[in-house]
Amino acid sequence: MSSLTESLRRVMAVDGVRAAALIDIATGMVVQSAGVEGRDFPAAAASMADEARMARAALGPGRPGGDLDEISLVTDCRLHISKVLDDRLGEGMLLFVDLDRTRANIALASRQVGRLAPAVLA
Amino acid sequence: MESEEGSVGPLREALMVCAAAGMSGTLRVTGDPGGAIHLTDGRVAAIETPGAPGPEVLLLRSHRVTEAGWDDAFAAAATSGGRMRAELVRRAMVGSGELEGLLRTALADAMFVLASGTVEEYRAEPGPVECALPLEPGAEPDGLLAEASRRIRVLAALPGRNDRGRLRVVAMPVPPGVRLGEGQDEILALADGRRSPRDLAFALGRGVYATMLLLVRMQQAGLLVPVSARAFAAAARTPGRTGSGGEPQDVGGLPQRQRDLPAPSRRLRAPGRLPERLMPLGLLRPRTGRDVSPGETS
Repeated sequence: MSSLTESLRRVMAVDGVRAAALIDIATGMVVQSAGVEGRDFPAAAASMADEARMARAALGPGRPGGDLDEISLVTDCRLHISKVLDDRLGEGMLLFVDLDRTRANIALASRQVGRLAPAVLA
Repeated sequence: MESEEGSVGPLREALMVCAAAGMSGTLRVTGDPGGAIHLTDGRVAAIETPGAPGPEVLLLRSHRVTEAGWDDAFAAAATSGGRMRAELVRRAMVGSGELEGLLRTALADAMFVLASGTVEEYRAEPGPVECALPLEPGAEPDGLLAEASRRIRVLAALPGRNDRGRLRVVAMPVPPGVRLGEGQDEILALADGRRSPRDLAFALGRGVYATMLLLVRMQQAGLLVPVSARAFAAAARTPGRTGSGGEPQDVGGLPQRQRDLPAPSRRLRAPGRLPERLMPLGLLRPRTGRDVSPGETS
């Protein structure tokens, strides 16, 4: 089994996770994924990469508030957590996690995903 | 049936036959830019093409891995008969997941470049796969082709010219207060009106598609302006700027290197049905002492 597949399987074990994916911010490409995905997932992944790029730009010159670490998106029924991974190539990668809101707590999920994130690219 | 973007159709035809047969070997693609798709058990392990930087270039030119470190790892892998990927990870030069991510993005970039170009013919050569950094297990051809199609559609939907692969740009002064984003300062330093997105991608150790998107964003921000082919030719014709062979010598005020000269014109052929003799039905016939054509009976 590939290293990324193994890492995403660990993320899938977090309560309420429906899907997990590694997204290349520079291209919007889904590098590897696991779990339930819709047909439009590649387009959605590209939008998330755009979102991360815009969020970085919004942090302003010199990023006085610090670098972008995570983007959380909450809808009626879902939680989306996009964790920026420390990648020294290109514009970096996002660990995107799609959770069922009825089965997950956003603070707990963020903490658990954050704990697993550093190992994804290691 | 809906026609596929670029040369995705011919590549899909060939790769699907190889995948169905679980072929291990190389699918050689002739065209512009053309290349070699290395397959293991029908999955794509590596792609070599002059149109896109491979993993080695991405790691070295981006300074993610030093040349001395690469050479040491290569020598150690060759001596021990081990694998380069394992050697790089063992030496903590790059993480296992990071390297896998790099190999997957490099494959997608190379497939995008092949699919954006022209495919004149292809030939399957079953046999052992020999490349420094294969993806193991390989990537599904379907996924790579879908990503190539997505990229072609994204570029086609952007405003402006549609031959972005041949776009040349020059840097504009950076307005006061504007903070340059990821890699933009390096692009500005290299954007001299002669380098194509491919040249910039090779120079910086970035993917070609990522470079094209970055160039578009920088144009939209007014940091770059395109140089038309006509202006380029006019600059080349200017007295004192043309060599004996008619090639531009000093466009943009910088010395001209051989690799920066305009590529010779090539016969472009629109992607479409391949000649009957190249149809993939007989592609997997093992080659013997001579090159057996796919439709030939032995």
